[in-house]
Amino acid sequence: MDNNRDLFGVSLAQLRSLVSEGLKGGSWCDLYFEQTSYNDLLLRDSVVASGGFHLDYGCGIRVLDGEKTGYAYSESTDYQSLLDAARAAAALAGKGGVFSASPAPERPADLYPVARSWDGVPKKELARWLERLEEKIRELEPRTLKVIALLSWSHSEVMMYNSLDSLTSDSRPLGNVTVTVIFSDGGARTEQRNVSRSYRCGAEMLSDTLLEELAGEAVSALDDSFAARRPKGGKMSVVMGAGASGILLHEAMGHAFEADFNRKGQSIFCDRMGSRICKKGINIIDDGTIPLNRGALRFDDEGVPGQKTYMVEDGVLTSYLHDRISAGWYGVAPTGNGRRESFRYNPIPRMRATYMESGSDGTLDDLIGSVRKGIYVDKFANGEVKIGEGDFTFYVNRGYLIENGRLTMPVKDINIIGNGPQALADIVAVAGDLKIDNSTWTCGKEQSVAVSCGIPSVLIKNLTVGGE
Amino acid sequence: MITEQERQIAASCLDIAREAGASGARITLTKSTEDLIATLDGQIDKVTRCADRSLSIALFVDGRFGSFSTNKLEAAALKDFIFRAADTVRMLAPDSFRRLPDPSRLCTSARSGREMDIYDPSHEAVTPAARRRAALDAAVFGRIRSDEGIIPSDLAGGKEGVRLISEEGEYSDSDYDVLVLDSQGLECRHSETSFDYGVEVTVEDENGDKYSDYWWTASPRLADFDASACGLEAVRRACAQIGAGPAPSGKYNMVVSREVSSRLVTPLLNALNAYSIQQGNSFLVGSKDRQLFSEGLSIVDEPWRKGESGSKLFDSEGVATAEAPIVSDGAVRRYFVNTYMAGKLGEAPTVEDAIRPRVCGYPSPGLDAEALLQRCGSGILVTDFNGGNCNMTTGDFSYGIAGQIFENGRIVRPVSEMLVTGNFLELWKHLIAAGDDYRLCTTKLVGTLAFSDVDFSG
Repeated sequence: MDNNRDLFGVSLAQLRSLVSEGLKGGSWCDLYFEQTSYNDLLLRDSVVASGGFHLDYGCGIRVLDGEKTGYAYSESTDYQSLLDAARAAAALAGKGGVFSASPAPERPADLYPVARSWDGVPKKELARWLERLEEKIRELEPRTLKVIALLSWSHSEVMMYNSLDSLTSDSRPLGNVTVTVIFSDGGARTEQRNVSRSYRCGAEMLSDTLLEELAGEAVSALDDSFAARRPKGGKMSVVMGAGASGILLHEAMGHAFEADFNRKGQSIFCDRMGSRICKKGINIIDDGTIPLNRGALRFDDEGVPGQKTYMVEDGVLTSYLHDRISAGWYGVAPTGNGRRESFRYNPIPRMRATYMESGSDGTLDDLIGSVRKGIYVDKFANGEVKIGEGDFTFYVNRGYLIENGRLTMPVKDINIIGNGPQALADIVAVAGDLKIDNSTWTCGKEQSVAVSCGIPSVLIKNLTVGGE
Repeated sequence: MITEQERQIAASCLDIAREAGASGARITLTKSTEDLIATLDGQIDKVTRCADRSLSIALFVDGRFGSFSTNKLEAAALKDFIFRAADTVRMLAPDSFRRLPDPSRLCTSARSGREMDIYDPSHEAVTPAARRRAALDAAVFGRIRSDEGIIPSDLAGGKEGVRLISEEGEYSDSDYDVLVLDSQGLECRHSETSFDYGVEVTVEDENGDKYSDYWWTASPRLADFDASACGLEAVRRACAQIGAGPAPSGKYNMVVSREVSSRLVTPLLNALNAYSIQQGNSFLVGSKDRQLFSEGLSIVDEPWRKGESGSKLFDSEGVATAEAPIVSDGAVRRYFVNTYMAGKLGEAPTVEDAIRPRVCGYPSPGLDAEALLQRCGSGILVTDFNGGNCNMTTGDFSYGIAGQIFENGRIVRPVSEMLVTGNFLELWKHLIAAGDDYRLCTTKLVGTLAFSDVDFSG
């Protein structure tokens, strides 16, 4: 779609007039129109008896005076409401600015083609897919007590216009399946598993393959989970399994690479640009161009085309993640990381799909085999970082002790903590098995946005593992 | 504030729902505004104006149920929206437990929305200039730094050469108005205002190591709003962490500061929610009327605390709230059971969640952090949590923490990069004392807490 002006009921002349109004208060003005429909179906107690849809519509108007921001939004896109919002945003009362022309942005590839529109699929068919998912889980694991499965899908039409006279549009689908399964050992003990998948695509994602994959993952190694204990805590080597361990990159490094934290001097990496921060051969990337990926963006929420950004190349910090404000401040091109939760929020630097490229230090078995005493982790729930200190914490759902190069006792419900720059420096081996994790990762830095992460298996020395 | 015209629009949705074939419906109309001024290093950095309204509808059609929302409130759009919603509900499976609350349980006393005395009319008169002044007056960046950016040592806990790197402050004032109507004649309203200030600072010690911390305050009334101490408190907290590192792993007494202690209460309240109980996704299944915790733990829900944010006369179903014990002397007294879950569980319905829970002081009233440190003698004072999680089926938890080692009741040195690990059922058996030094600006009234024999690793 070239633009959504008909959907939002505004003419090009009106867009120009609104931006002109905004430019009375600053040197930059942009408009972000959005219409999002969100739908859900919930399976609980073996029936899909709950569901609904939710509509959100409006326009956010931003005025910038240097790095200073004026922001207002309207839930109506009639011209007078938009004009009021533009005036409110211009209340920043900066020096004022003028229109300038720029080349039209390139048209990025379609990263989220929809083969089967969600709206075209009968609800009963979607509900049946959830019921089959539960049936499969129960078939694979008779100890299943409860299955709660939520299928949700959204579709956002967005249109962006700015004082470069640049008009861009995007049409963003997002489908999510999240499943919680409660298992009972027949006695007093219960176990909970959470599995999920998320893709920017249509209802074609609800394949038999996905159903088998989710069911298999939900019940995998359940005996180990019932047997799992907390290990003795302390500092030890940690082997991170490929895929979901990418949360380490997101929390411990990715946030500290976001340029707003660096511009304000808050990040522990603010004076490390161009420095070696980890061993040679390590490349860390934030990528908005992976087709169907939850973090994919044809354009970011400032109208900048989606990009693949190397933050660390061969162990050296080479780029922060920029929105237009930080890019201007640093005198570099924006990296397409200006993102927002909705039209209600101004964009800020955010990650997309953050991952480390495969290394050349062998296989997962090689990494485990090299550890005398440590821990292997492969399932995570969440993480958090303190930007200034770089201290991070993330929660391990499942893992194993490593003793003399072999996996022994299963462990669960522990935290691993460390310091971002130190953990990066302490990566001593990277396997060649990069995996992007397609779970429903959501980053909560001020606003919620969909992201994903990935990593090959890595060995880190000296992380703190919580335990008895 | 919700206008009479908007109220009529909401009421008309009940008629449209009936026309669309619904046997019952509940409409929730919310409207809010917020003005926000952010500062960076003592200068205005961001000015934001927010105005939102949303209409949600719970629809009961042919023994089925669905929930929907929109922010497009034009009459034609709403009619189309509700008819489409009704069609969607018809495609779902029947659910005999879905129904509106019994009319006898509904709130009848929230007519004006201002009964809880947390709407301050003076909010409407706050000017843009006053907002800027409030934000700039609260910022300390330009006032406490030397030309070289150094913080005076008396503000830095006696440490020399500490630089204030950045200060991000955010002042906001807002109003929130909600109207709930249902097809049984329910009409109740709740209005509140809030004046808020939060600040995060980053400091750097002589070694170039950075430390950040925050502080905040809020009040429903402008006259009671005072942000003047926030910046200094954030600086004090950040400086208190300078030089922090892990302490040896082991069992310690744990004192948890009042500003973060609700983190240990929230999982208990979540585990008492009937949805979790019914799904077996709770470590408190079968806990009702059983003594599971220390006799020192008593939690009471006090939704009618006038003048305090969070107090409310009705829940989201429109059910009247009431003061009620949640945990008494260590025994669980209630689950939170909404109308739907009451049918599923065969339990008497209650309000659907704790509205204004308060952890009662123990073993005596009047205890604060200093008293609890004295009582414990030695241990770790937790002033912040960093990540972590709780397994809701088992109650096992693990959280990252930052804080202070204390000995003989006095702070000795900061700790960080540590984890506290345990099980909530066990943790609350080891409650030593509960302070009643509540911060009224928090949703849950939880004072400083002290526990014995807690596992820390670092």
